Amino acid sequence: MALHHVANLDELEEARAKIVSVNGRSIGIIKSKDRIYAVRNVCPHKSAPVCWGQVRGTLLPSDPSTFVFGLEDQVLQCPWHGWEFNLEGGSRLCGGRSRLTLYPVTCQDNAVFLEMR
Amino acid sequence: MSEALIRPAEAAIRPMIIDADVHPWVNGDIAGLRKYLSRAWWEHFDGRQTLPNQWLRPPLARASSNRLDALPPGGGDAGSDPVFMKEEHLDKHDIAHAVLSSIQAGKLAALPNAGEALALATAFNEFFLNEFLSVDARYKLAMVVAAHDPAASAAEIRRLGPLPGVVAVFLPLLNIMMGNRHYYPIYEAAEEVGLPILIHPTGTEGGFPTSVAFAGGIPSTYIERHTNFPEIGISAINSLVFEGVFVRFPGLMLLAAEFGFSWLPHFLWRMDQNWHQFRKEVPWITQNPSQIVLDHVRFTSQPIEEPERPEYLDQILQMIHAERTLLFSTDYPHWDNDFPANTLTRLAPTLRQRIFFDNAAELFHLS
Repeated sequence: MALHHVANLDELEEARAKIVSVNGRSIGIIKSKDRIYAVRNVCPHKSAPVCWGQVRGTLLPSDPSTFVFGLEDQVLQCPWHGWEFNLEGGSRLCGGRSRLTLYPVTCQDNAVFLEMR
Repeated sequence: MSEALIRPAEAAIRPMIIDADVHPWVNGDIAGLRKYLSRAWWEHFDGRQTLPNQWLRPPLARASSNRLDALPPGGGDAGSDPVFMKEEHLDKHDIAHAVLSSIQAGKLAALPNAGEALALATAFNEFFLNEFLSVDARYKLAMVVAAHDPAASAAEIRRLGPLPGVVAVFLPLLNIMMGNRHYYPIYEAAEEVGLPILIHPTGTEGGFPTSVAFAGGIPSTYIERHTNFPEIGISAINSLVFEGVFVRFPGLMLLAAEFGFSWLPHFLWRMDQNWHQFRKEVPWITQNPSQIVLDHVRFTSQPIEEPERPEYLDQILQMIHAERTLLFSTDYPHWDNDFPANTLTRLAPTLRQRIFFDNAAELFHLS
């Protein structure tokens, strides 16, 4: 595993991905509240640039005709077909095996690193 | 040698059939229901004895949906003589149970007056209970309700639903989508008494301000109207699923009769695809909508499609999990009815048993 310096903390905008290239792969570095995520910029559905999507909360499973808001600032919604992914773990909110590809992130002082083989 | 000796095995194991769609008739429309209407209601109708009918009629003899050869020898319209129908249909085709739904009662969807619709619904139900179910235990009834007044209809379901022989609730469709909370009292009552909801083209579609509309506008011919029937089934199921009716009423079942079924694979794929994209608009849907349909919705086979190649139909049957979802029906005595001897004859015996008996037995709690 190698560490790649992909961003500085003070350049990252809240909930707006910085797109970088690491080993020829497009990766989105996303800062959402106190968390930093490194997300492969390819939607598992139809290969859309998923990191261009919005990071927001969503409406959780609920009783019919009622709405419960949750996962605030934790859901990445693909800009093409609206698939929703939980940035914590990358799983799809509809369930199933498709998920985001995430890379471990560490921060040292102002520098953001991701791990990749 | 008698036929029984020549083929003893076939005679012994001739399979029984449940016909999920048979249409009885009341001669004279409202006039024929007089015995089941109070004097006050009869006076109220005051000569209005003919139910509304759609202008676009089949280009067949008498502009009627009924076959000429199904007219009872003793007079009256096809489906009006329970004894003749018993011999001509139940006995002839080894029908173990025939689920009766009244097309005339379906015309209630054309009535703007809720009180009239309720009174006629009760009259139709009592007519068929007394005049048909008493004739032969094989007759079963899809009792009709007037969706104009869901609370009163729920009371009617609780009153008649538990009676022997009542196996479904026939809901003539108004121009309010089936998933709308307007109907919830009806669904609650049906679930409570264990009856599926049955929907069926009534002939009122697109023809009256109160009845369900066709997509795209008003058809100008009967052939267009008839070809468009699947639209009604699709929009009804779409609404029921995404409004969460089957989440709210997990025991509720729907039988979509005579809307076809070959469109179902496309519809299931599209529902699932859209749920993956728009999940958060309907967060009470927590599984593939197609699974909800397979668990809660059933379809009748008539009119069986006639594709270019018969193997196409085999593929459709697989795609729709026909071993669970499809119920054989004749639509007797209508012009486009199917009969067991020449319908779905290529099926494996186990699948034929499911479609011709078991699926209906499970849905209607019959043995």
